[in-house]
Amino acid sequence: MEKRVRCLVIEDEAETSNYICKGLREAGYLVTACATGPDGLDYAIAEEWDIIILDRMLPGRIDGLSIVDKLRALGKHTPVIIVSALSTIDARVTGLRGGADDYLPKPFAFSELLARVEALLRRSAPGADSTQLQVADLKLDLRTMRVTRGAKVITLQPREYRLLEYLMRNENQVVTRTMLLESVWDYHFDPQTNVIDVQISRLRAKVDKDFPVMLIHTLRGVGYRMGATAPGDSDGGERALG
Amino acid sequence: MRLADCLRQPSRLWGASIAAKLVLGYGLLGTISIAVVSVVFYTGTIGVLDQNLDGKIVAQAQRLLHRANADGHAHLIEEVRRLLADGIDSDREIFQLLDSEGNTLAGNLGSWPQAEDETEASTRPQMISADVVREGHLKPARLYLRPLDGGGMLIVGRDLSEQEAVRELIWDALLAGAGVSLLLTVAGALLFRRTIENKLGEIRGTAARIEAGDLSHRIAISGDDEFARLNRDINRMLDRIELLMEGIRHVSNAIAHDLRTPLSRIRGRLDDALRHEASVERLAGASHDAIDDIDDLIRLFERLLQIAEVESGMRTSMFERLDLGRVVADIGEMYEASAEDDNITLSVDAPESLYVDGDRNLLASAIASLLENAIKYAGPGSVVRIRAGLHHGMAAIAVSDNGPGIPAEELDKVTQRFYRLDKSRHLPGNGLGLSIVAATATAHGGRLALEDNAPGLVARLVLPLAGSQLS
Repeated sequence: MEKRVRCLVIEDEAETSNYICKGLREAGYLVTACATGPDGLDYAIAEEWDIIILDRMLPGRIDGLSIVDKLRALGKHTPVIIVSALSTIDARVTGLRGGADDYLPKPFAFSELLARVEALLRRSAPGADSTQLQVADLKLDLRTMRVTRGAKVITLQPREYRLLEYLMRNENQVVTRTMLLESVWDYHFDPQTNVIDVQISRLRAKVDKDFPVMLIHTLRGVGYRMGATAPGDSDGGERALG
Repeated sequence: MRLADCLRQPSRLWGASIAAKLVLGYGLLGTISIAVVSVVFYTGTIGVLDQNLDGKIVAQAQRLLHRANADGHAHLIEEVRRLLADGIDSDREIFQLLDSEGNTLAGNLGSWPQAEDETEASTRPQMISADVVREGHLKPARLYLRPLDGGGMLIVGRDLSEQEAVRELIWDALLAGAGVSLLLTVAGALLFRRTIENKLGEIRGTAARIEAGDLSHRIAISGDDEFARLNRDINRMLDRIELLMEGIRHVSNAIAHDLRTPLSRIRGRLDDALRHEASVERLAGASHDAIDDIDDLIRLFERLLQIAEVESGMRTSMFERLDLGRVVADIGEMYEASAEDDNITLSVDAPESLYVDGDRNLLASAIASLLENAIKYAGPGSVVRIRAGLHHGMAAIAVSDNGPGIPAEELDKVTQRFYRLDKSRHLPGNGLGLSIVAATATAHGGRLALEDNAPGLVARLVLPLAGSQLS
């Protein structure tokens, strides 16, 4: 078994903290929780973590932003996700400028948090710098931008190509609509219609249609997952429901 | 406040009324200026006369004595008589020659003042003012008493009765003038006070009615004076407040309605799932539906918060320079598939290098909202165009369609929060989209204009070009 992910949760509200910790433990993480700013700072500095999830507003004079600040000042690049009830654009921008890697406004679905945590972990993991991505019989050549499934060549629009590349890089991981909008389109806002779903179904029509095995799966109320196995077959589906 | 009340309560007179202060102030100022004018006028007339008179009298006496010394006493008598008879200024001139016994040798006085100090009077000349009898009447006079070397005395003087009359006339005129102008000052100030109080009374009356809840009341405006301008400003402010209050009332009603519906739906669903034989799937299904509904509610709250945030003024320090053409192209491309699915032709015309200062995500969200609206309301078969470009020296994004459009009388209402056209109530939505777009435009120093496209609608988002943003 691979090394288990060590995760620090700094959150003062007990119920939210339990909700996050329980979900992360079910996902197989080693979780440590603390409830105040000073405690959080001590833990964050004293030990090595794979990821830190912290509330922006904390009791005890040290808030989430100053923990990130201290951590970065010490040269630690541990991925940090801020969860906060402050959901304004200002709050988000100051959080991200302050050194956090992601910002998730409360209330959030646990699946969204988990998807973002996993995306961050993958980003910080030293990945093999390959020139080709492959999921089952679907292949994407990063140099020639050629996409094939089995023997069939698939022609994609530039945006569809980037969408597929992102999904393949996150094989077997849940990606949410917001994550797609941020990573593939590079925008952060909340479309009122199913514009992302339409884009995915376009892609699906090209990638999955006429093939016996579906690769792009929809997780109801959560997002999407790319993989040779359907969500229900593994732990992915249950976990995503939070 | 009546004047009588003011007088009864001096503190109110001083402290409470600007008008009363003005009355007192102008009264005082009037009095002082009248006094100054009087002093200047008086010294300029009577004062000059007084001063010159003494010199003339002494000179005349010197001349007389000069001749007497040369030609003796008899000559002096003769000279006095001649002067009195020469008809030059003789109605005012006074000459009296006395011998050492005090008897009249020549002269035109019936009585004359005696020197107070005999010894001194006999040696020194003196200038006095006294009443004398002349031509049978007691008259004020200015007299020069000059003792003569060989005994006796020469009195030279001027009858002052005419000068006194002039002095009295001037005094009377000055007093009358002062009285009249003081009266006018006070009357004018009182009139002024009444005018001010009338004008202020209207403002206060309006304020009282608004305080009591009648927001529709306005101050009547007449003329174009300072008060009219102030009243116009106040009325404009009241218009704005009324509009905001109406908006808040509308929003509260809408929230009450729009939140109650999904909440009761969630409640009903969960209640239903619990009351019947609850299988795991059934409960899971109910939970899913409830979460979906709650997510919709959260989204609604997010939108409301976003409007509030954008309306309360974005921090322009968060703005960045960005290519609006690029954003329009991105969002246009994003919606192409959706439009096609709805059988709508979407054409995107977005030249690059249209730079504005702004928040990229907010602007993207606004453009997306306009496109979503056009696609949703124009209906299948229609054509939606999105164009970015210059419009009267500003950056503009125009989203036009050839759908049913919006009736002219409702054009300005659709940007209000929760406002929905009757015919579109059956479509999903919360009536917040255009409010956010309008608020976003305002936050960027621009505006959202909705116009008839005959047929259809043009929604035009106009923003200042980069660098032209007012700080």
